[in-house]
Amino acid sequence: MNIVSMFIGLTFVNNVVLSKFYAICPLLGVSKQPKNALNMGFAVTFVIFIASIVTWLLYYYVLVPLNIVYMDLITFILVIASLVQFVEMFLKKTSPEIYKAMGVYLPLITTNCAVLGVALDNISANYSLLESAVAGIAVPLGFTIVIYVFALIRERLEIANVPESFKGTPIALITAGIMACAIAGIAGLV
Amino acid sequence: MIQAVVALAVIGGILGLILGISNHFLVVEEDERIQVVTKKLPGANCGGCGYPGCAGFANALVDGTATKVSSCVAANAKVKEEIAKYLNETPDLEGNTLKVTV
Repeated sequence: MNIVSMFIGLTFVNNVVLSKFYAICPLLGVSKQPKNALNMGFAVTFVIFIASIVTWLLYYYVLVPLNIVYMDLITFILVIASLVQFVEMFLKKTSPEIYKAMGVYLPLITTNCAVLGVALDNISANYSLLESAVAGIAVPLGFTIVIYVFALIRERLEIANVPESFKGTPIALITAGIMACAIAGIAGLV
Repeated sequence: MIQAVVALAVIGGILGLILGISNHFLVVEEDERIQVVTKKLPGANCGGCGYPGCAGFANALVDGTATKVSSCVAANAKVKEEIAKYLNETPDLEGNTLKVTV
């Protein structure tokens, strides 16, 4: 498959949040400030990129030879949890402010379905190692773009004249829905 | 079956080793008094003091935002006395002590 079209396809057309509806939890939880949203995007990008390479290697060089491919789910979760733990330690050491701002959503990357979703999709789509690595950048890039744009919109919504009963989360969910409609407009492009 | 168990144990062991080594390099130096006070507190994590859990209250006591140990509703008088005494007598790295009341 052409790497470029695959990259665009995974980033925009089959966007992980707005077309597959993975990772809704951080999308709503960490999108109150654009800066935090961007940091969350970088943390997720790091975890997904390393995870997609490590899980691919583990699957084809450990699980397949040993004939225990049914262990893929638990093995992948082990890898992802370790990576998140590492990111947490790294952030706590290097930038305590970001660590505090992300709060509980940082350890929750472990249960972020986008991370596990990419790892499992790489296997089920029969990607090569290179294609898995590309997916490991393209998918979280799509996530980062969406969460950042969403955070910018939410910042404007704070000062917008929203009907009382729609203030806060309801209007955010409607906004996410409209964004998903926009992404649906380019479905089938790649 | 055996293969699965062994493989998972090995993978887990390797990942744990990597984390252990990186923890050694990325360790955050914390005031050791926070640990001591957290251990002395009842560990109910009730939030009655207004801080998130006993560790949060210990943190507030040590950095000076909280000065009254009796904000903790779960500890008995003896424990409160002990904590106040400990904090008033133990200096930090620069040699300053806190003024905490029971």
